[in-house]
Amino acid sequence: MNRLHSGNGKILKTSLALLIGALFLGGCATTAVEQRGIASKADPYENINRNVFTFNDTVDSYVAKPISDAYKWATPQFAQTGIFNFFNNLKNVDVIINDVLQAKFAQGAEDAGRLFINTTLGLGGLVDAAQDLGLKQNDEDFEQTLAVWGVPRGPYLVLPLLGSTTARGIPGSILDTAANPASYVGAPIQLVSLLNTRANAQGSLDFVKEGALDPYVFIREGYLQTREHLATDGKSQASLDVDNELGDDNTATSASDKKASTSSKANYSLQLSSAEHTANSFGSATQSLDQTAKSFEDASDKIDKLAKQKNSKKFKKAK
Amino acid sequence: MVLKNIKFVAVFMCCLLLGTSNVFAKDEAAKQVVDKFQSELIAVMKNGKQLGFSGRYDKLVSSVSNSHDLTKIARIVVGKEWEKLSDDQQKKLVDVFSRLSIASYAHNFKEYGGESFTIDSEEETTRGGVVVYAHLSIPNDKDVKFEYHLKETDKSWRIINIVANGVSDLALKRSEYTSILQREGFDALIAKISEKIDNYSKL
Repeated sequence: MNRLHSGNGKILKTSLALLIGALFLGGCATTAVEQRGIASKADPYENINRNVFTFNDTVDSYVAKPISDAYKWATPQFAQTGIFNFFNNLKNVDVIINDVLQAKFAQGAEDAGRLFINTTLGLGGLVDAAQDLGLKQNDEDFEQTLAVWGVPRGPYLVLPLLGSTTARGIPGSILDTAANPASYVGAPIQLVSLLNTRANAQGSLDFVKEGALDPYVFIREGYLQTREHLATDGKSQASLDVDNELGDDNTATSASDKKASTSSKANYSLQLSSAEHTANSFGSATQSLDQTAKSFEDASDKIDKLAKQKNSKKFKKAK
Repeated sequence: MVLKNIKFVAVFMCCLLLGTSNVFAKDEAAKQVVDKFQSELIAVMKNGKQLGFSGRYDKLVSSVSNSHDLTKIARIVVGKEWEKLSDDQQKKLVDVFSRLSIASYAHNFKEYGGESFTIDSEEETTRGGVVVYAHLSIPNDKDVKFEYHLKETDKSWRIINIVANGVSDLALKRSEYTSILQREGFDALIAKISEKIDNYSKL
């Protein structure tokens, strides 16, 4: 099967590759373009970014891809899947921390269950047993938490060797690395993780290479949209987007201005909703703390009652 | 007086019913367009190998053209640059863009491995469009969530945008096309599109 890493679904897979690319090499071939005209407000350093992108792409073609191809050739598919599952399971520690920081307590409990099941039934994480039990893998990280807390995204950046990120993504990645147990194991194991990640991204990178007219812009837009989608848990302004795109169809005069104003409106409402969400989060956190305190009180009352009963029984017996 | 009021209420109810049935018809018509396109796509995938690229392309010409508003999409992806193009350039752009869209479907949906589309729900947008929510189930892989954004044109519904797991195809293409037009110009854009179509047919 050509695994449907194909079609429009591949657009997403592509963006997933971009996230993976943020770990390692986000690059793929680009043609030489004139260094002028910066079109995107999200990318004020486009000229520098494009140079880094070309550098990453070269390193990827000459170093990472050949090693990754050799790894793929030498490693059976079941081992690749097992390695992916193992590191993915460890990443859940980071996911759980961020569930809590975003006040997603139910999801946090689910993810903790996922980590527990896969670490025990799943043979230390090599088998994704939780998937078969219907526990889906959630995707949370510190960059998303910062977004939920209302920290602005900042400009899009392409880092040497590390690939796509944003100003908000850099502290996010540092915290994610610190919160991932895989960061504290030896270098050879981390190398396996990197190789496996790069090997898994091949399908998506091929898709970009085959389909993108300007791979730099394709990866940038895919990355930014995917991050937005994850941070807002799918509640981003997709519908606003299309109405806006359609709106300027008839009056093509101020398309970008409109887009900017709509997106700033969307950003504003997102900011509002994120502020609201943070307030709600704090609200629900306090509420759950209250409930916990209450349940402790109830429990201690019950213990008191039981103790009283026991005492009275003893007293009666003594009598 | 009471009779008058009853009459008024009855008329009002009728209007309301007509209104809802109209909304219902709208959603239903839009949903049918997506449903038909998805089944045709799956059918092509099932015979993908025998058909080969050109066979898949020929089958998908009518499927894609009858479900997508390719002219409008081509206009939107170049943004305000559209107005700066001559009539011939606009025609040329719509032509190569349409061929690229069909070719990319023909290339990417070439095999069948048990995938299936399911329509989940539909919703009307504030500007009279309809969004059809669907997902693609892939054996041993995560589902891909799709949003089809449709608009009515000449009494038929057409897909204007596809959002796959939060990534808008229209927004992505728009950034690419406007960037190339601004940096390298119209001829370079057409050359790049033609090169992609050519590559798809060879892969």
